[in-house]
Amino acid sequence: MSTKNIMLCCVAGMSTSLLVNKMKKAATELEKDVVIFATSVSGFDQELASREVDCVMLGPQVSYMEKDFKEKLKDKNIPLSVINMQDYGMMNGEKVLLQAYELMGGE
Amino acid sequence: MTNKSLWQKFIDRFTRISIKIGNQIHLRSLRDAFAMIMPLFILAGLGVLINNVFFPLFLKGTSLANFQTFGNLIVNGTLNIAGLIIAPVVGYCLARNRNYKNALGAAIVSLAGLIVVMPVTLQALPINGKKAVDISGFLSYSNIGVTGMFAGIIIGLIAAELFIKLSKIEKIKINLGENVPPAVSESFLTLIPTIAVISLLAIISAILFVGFHTDLIKLITTLIQEPLRRVNTSLPGFLLIYSVGNLLFGFGIHQAVINGTLLDPVLLINTNKNMQAFAAGDHVPYIITSVFRDTFGMMGGTGSTICLLVATFLFSRVKASREVTKLSIVPGIFNINEPVIYGYPIVFNIPLLIPFVLTPIISLLIAYYATVLGLMNKTVVLVPWTTPPLINGFLATGGDWRAVVVQLLSFIIGVLFYIPFMKISEQVLLKQNQA
Repeated sequence: MSTKNIMLCCVAGMSTSLLVNKMKKAATELEKDVVIFATSVSGFDQELASREVDCVMLGPQVSYMEKDFKEKLKDKNIPLSVINMQDYGMMNGEKVLLQAYELMGGE
Repeated sequence: MTNKSLWQKFIDRFTRISIKIGNQIHLRSLRDAFAMIMPLFILAGLGVLINNVFFPLFLKGTSLANFQTFGNLIVNGTLNIAGLIIAPVVGYCLARNRNYKNALGAAIVSLAGLIVVMPVTLQALPINGKKAVDISGFLSYSNIGVTGMFAGIIIGLIAAELFIKLSKIEKIKINLGENVPPAVSESFLTLIPTIAVISLLAIISAILFVGFHTDLIKLITTLIQEPLRRVNTSLPGFLLIYSVGNLLFGFGIHQAVINGTLLDPVLLINTNKNMQAFAAGDHVPYIITSVFRDTFGMMGGTGSTICLLVATFLFSRVKASREVTKLSIVPGIFNINEPVIYGYPIVFNIPLLIPFVLTPIISLLIAYYATVLGLMNKTVVLVPWTTPPLINGFLATGGDWRAVVVQLLSFIIGVLFYIPFMKISEQVLLKQNQA
């Protein structure tokens, strides 16, 4: 199984970076080989161009970017999903991580 | 039942319209551009703080003036070129949002376009002189700085937009044939669009300058920037727009969609003008600025939710609420409150939506009238929005402890105001769980 790269995205990349830490913790517990990082909406293009990305998770507060970003991800075949509001609020790293894995097709 | 569906309809329509506004490509590019250059304005705040609060503590007269050269130079490289910087950056962001590959090319055209519309001759006051003289061969800090910010934005957007549009027209691409190395023909691709855009701006500027003795910078500033700024940063206009943005966050969509586009540009101009005036020792003009809003209207994040956290901590018996509070308090100190908004939750929770929107209005009104009555200084330093409450009040007002007292007072009132709504929310939640 290869390393998976999960990109989280919100307005300033601040609150998602909080979630990144929780997800990393969950990943260690679940023994997942994964790289997780957060970025801002305006940094989205740059990160996408310069890094390996296997799936994108949007904070619910920027769910309005979903359509636009999906369009940009279409060619690269990268799946995108909006993080569940409750899981986001409770900063539930494990649930969001599992949501990401489901998005990438299991494992 | 019909009532509920009407409410649902309102939420849907309100959210959809807001997103449409916020996602409009030029406004979005503007938001991106602001995010990119914000560090410079925060640096300006730091420079002003060191120059006008820190140095005067132990320096006087000539030595003070000598030391203050440091901060003055920082102001030159930040506030005084605000318009010059925003033009290419907004052009760059627009190109990126339009998925146009040569974003740097668009940025160059935006920058050149802005300089083209600058007045050819300026009036200037010589040092030690009393009468203004006409000079040429100069750009003024006023035109390329804070005052010219809107002009920078508009010219930057127009130039980049035209450039991108023209670049996509196949017919006007210069084709050099197959034998010419691709890199060479590549360099010709943008030639005609560049010539066309800059020439057009030059023609308009020349006509305005020669025929009407005016320039685009002046026109944009007086006809667009000032009316917009006056309305949107007046007390009612400001509170209305800010509250609409906050209400939107109550429906799960980030308030920056509204505030980042309708408020931030004009509020930032006010902040920057205050910083500039404070740095120069002039009269500080504005009460309502971007940092005024951040400091008094979003303690602990949008909705001043730190008040809710403290109210919960003191008076709530509901385990779930206390759990979220524990989780949210540390990010809340740095004004990040997504855990509260989505976890508590505030989203779609009508009892809590009321204080979420009203608490900031109360605090802002208190702070506004405290400033009007001269009980505290105006905000003169841009501090990052992640600076914890109380510390940010002290720094933003150039070290005025009375601003901290105002913040503390607003905070206590905010806690008291949140309590009854928190109790109602818990009752509703309890009933829902029983049902």
